[in-house]
Amino acid sequence: MTASPTPLLAINDLHVSVEGKQILNGLTLQVRVGEVHAIMGPNGSGKSTLAHVLAGRPGYEITAGTVSYEGCDLLALAPEERARQGVFLGFQYPVEIPGVNNVYLLKAAVNAVRKQRGLPEVDAFEFLGLVREKMKLMHIEDSFLSRGVNEGFSGGEKKRNEVLQMLVLEPRLAILDETDSGLDIDALKVVAGGVNSLRSPERACVLVTHYQRLLEYVVPDIVHVLVRGRIARRGDRTLALELERRGYDWVTEEAA
Amino acid sequence: MSTPLTARIVEEHANAFRALPLAGAAATRRRTALAALTASGLPTSRDENWKYANLRPLERLRFIPAPAAQPLAATDLPAAIPGFARYVFVDGAFAPALSAALHSTAAAVTPLAAAPDGDRAPAAMPAQTPAPHAPADERFALLNEAFATDGAAIRVAAHHDEPVRLELVFVASADALTGASYPRVELHLDSQAQLLLIERHMSAGAQASFVNSAVTVDLGRGATLHHYRLQELAARATVFDTLIATVARDACYRLYGISIGAQSARSTLAVRLAGERADLTLAVVALGDRQQVQDIFARVEHAAPGARTEQIFRGISAGRARVAFNGKIVVGSEAHGTDSRQSLRGLLAGPEAEIDVRPQLEIYTDEVRCSHGATVGKLDESMLFYLLSRGLEPEVAQRLLKWVFLEDVVAKIGVAELRRQIEERLAQQVPEPAARAEST
Ligand SMILES: Nc1ncnc2c1ncn2[C@@H]1O[C@H](COP(=O)(O)OP(=O)(O)O)[C@@H](O)[C@H]1O
Ligand SMILES: [Mg+2]
Repeated sequence: MTASPTPLLAINDLHVSVEGKQILNGLTLQVRVGEVHAIMGPNGSGKSTLAHVLAGRPGYEITAGTVSYEGCDLLALAPEERARQGVFLGFQYPVEIPGVNNVYLLKAAVNAVRKQRGLPEVDAFEFLGLVREKMKLMHIEDSFLSRGVNEGFSGGEKKRNEVLQMLVLEPRLAILDETDSGLDIDALKVVAGGVNSLRSPERACVLVTHYQRLLEYVVPDIVHVLVRGRIARRGDRTLALELERRGYDWVTEEAA
Repeated sequence: MSTPLTARIVEEHANAFRALPLAGAAATRRRTALAALTASGLPTSRDENWKYANLRPLERLRFIPAPAAQPLAATDLPAAIPGFARYVFVDGAFAPALSAALHSTAAAVTPLAAAPDGDRAPAAMPAQTPAPHAPADERFALLNEAFATDGAAIRVAAHHDEPVRLELVFVASADALTGASYPRVELHLDSQAQLLLIERHMSAGAQASFVNSAVTVDLGRGATLHHYRLQELAARATVFDTLIATVARDACYRLYGISIGAQSARSTLAVRLAGERADLTLAVVALGDRQQVQDIFARVEHAAPGARTEQIFRGISAGRARVAFNGKIVVGSEAHGTDSRQSLRGLLAGPEAEIDVRPQLEIYTDEVRCSHGATVGKLDESMLFYLLSRGLEPEVAQRLLKWVFLEDVVAKIGVAELRRQIEERLAQQVPEPAARAEST
C-alpha cells in the first residue's frame, strides 16, 4: 500500500480537558484515505471524548496539540462546517428529538452538504428512493421515516439509524463511537454490512469500540489502544484478538 | 377600599351608564359587580398571583366601552374554519354582518345585548352575586360585568351526532384613550352536550386597545368541551382575561390557550373540578418578544374524588420580554383519588429575557397522585449538537428545537385548519425552518 502524502486526519499531541480534568494526554494518530482504524480501550479512557472533540462538541478545552483534516485546521471549524466537509460522528448515545422527523433530518443534512458543494437541493422523490434503499440495507421499517428522530427507538434501532444517516450522507471521514455496543449478533452483522458498504479508497473510518466482536466483520487496517488519554499500543487486527483474550489490564500496566 | 383607580372606574361608569343597556336584572348585576369591585379594588402587584402582571397601563386607559367602531370587512378576519359557525364582535359589540350563524337544533348562541334575562344560562354567572370581597383573581371579571354591553350567551343541549362547532372572534379596534372592549362569553353545556369552541382575540389595525374579557364555562354532567383560545392582539394592546369554569361529574374540558399578541397580557384561568371523575387538560403556549409581558395564572381546584388534571405550559421569552406561568392546583379534602400532572417549561431565548414557571400544589387529602415538573432553560444542548453534527445551520437547528418545544401543545390542537393558522401565526414570531411542515 502506498501511503498518500498528507493523511486525511492528523491528530498531533492532542491534550483535552473537561471541567479542569485532563482526559486526553498527548494523543497522536494519523488516518489515511482508504483505511479503517479501530480505537479500543477500557471504559473511561477517553474514546468518546476524542470522538466528540473531532466532531466539535462544545464543553471541551483543547489545551495543546493540533488536528488537521484534509490539510486544514479541523479545530477551527464549527461543528456544522465539519459535517458539511464530510466528517460524520455516529453517537455512542444517539439523541432523541421528538417532533423532528427522521426524513426531515436526513434531507436537511444532505442538503447542507450539497449547499457546501454548490449543488442544488435534492429532488424529494429521488431522495426518498435512495433513503428507502439504504433503509432496506439496514433492516429499518418504512414507518421509521415519519417518526421523530430516535424517538422511542430501541438501543439497536438507534445504532442502525446512525449508520443509516452515515450511508445517506456518505462522509469522507466516519467516526463511529461504540456503534456496536448493545447489539445482538444479527444487528451487529447489519451494522457491519452498512460500514463495509461505505469502504472505499476515498474514505476513511474510525471505529471506536470496546470489544473486538465488530472487528470480525469490519476488518481494521490498524488497531490503537487508548489508555488514560493516549495511544498505549498499536498493531494490526491480531492486537484486537489479543485484547479479547487477555483483557486490557496488561496494556494498562505496560502504559503505567 | 376606594383608591383613585376605583374612584375613576365608578365615575366613568356613572357617566357611561346611559349608554349601557339598562334592562331589568342586567342593570342590577352591573351595579352589584361595580359595588363589589369598589369594595375590593382591582388587584395590585402586591396581591398574590399578580406580581408578574403589568398593571401600569390601567392608570392611563379609559374604562367606558369604546364608541361604535368603523365597520370591518370580512377580509380583515382570519380565514373561516370549515364546519364552524362564526360570531364576530367588534369592540365588544356583536357584528352580525361579519358572522355566519349556527344552524343546529342542539345549540343556541344569543348576543347578550339582545338576550332577555331568562335566556342567560343561570349557572354561567358566578359573578352574579359576588362576595363583598371578591378574590383578587376574579376582579377583572367584575370590571367586565360592570361595563360589558354585549357578548355571547351559549347553551348547548345533549345530542347524539357530531359536536357543535363554533368560533367566536373578538376584534379590538378602538384606542384605549377612547374606550375599552369587553368581550364576554357565558357558556353552558347541558349534560352530555359536546362543543368545539374557538375563541379568538385579535386587532383590526394597530391601535393600543384595552381589552378586558370574561368567560364563564359551565359543563354539565358528561359534557365535553374542546376550547381553543388564541390571543393575537396588536403589539400595543393591553389585555386582561378571566376565565371561570366549573366542570361537573364525568365532564371533560380540554382548554388550549395560545398567547402571542399584545404588549401586556394577563390571563387568569380558574377551573373547578366539581364532580367526580371530571377531566381537565389545560395546555398553554405563550410567546414573548420585545418588551411584551405574558402573564398567566391558572388555578385548578379538585373538589370531588377521582378527577384528573393535565396541565402543560410551554413559554418562550425573547428580547426583553417577561413571560410567567403560575399553575396552582388545589386538592380539596373530598378529592381523594385525584390525578394531576403538571409539566411547565420555559425557554429563555435572549440574555435580557425573563421567564418564570411556578407549579404550586395545595393538598388537603391523602391518596392522590400529583406530579409536577417545571424547568426553565435554554435549548437542549445535546439535541442542538446532534443537529449541528448533521450539518444543520445553528439558526435552523435552534428554530427547529423551539418548534419541537411548542409542539407539545400545538400538536394537540385537533382542528386541522386552526392548527395550520396557529402554526402560521407562531411562525411569524418563531420562524419555522423551511420544509419542516411539508415533510411531516
Ligand atoms: N462532561 C464531562 N465532565 C466531566 N468528566 C467527563 C465528562 N465527559 C467525560 N468525562 C470523563 O472523562 C473520562 C473519559 O470519558 P469518555 O471519553 O466518555 O471515555 P470512554 O468513551 O473511553 O469510555 C471519564 O473519566 C469520564 O468520567
Ligand atoms: Mg464512550
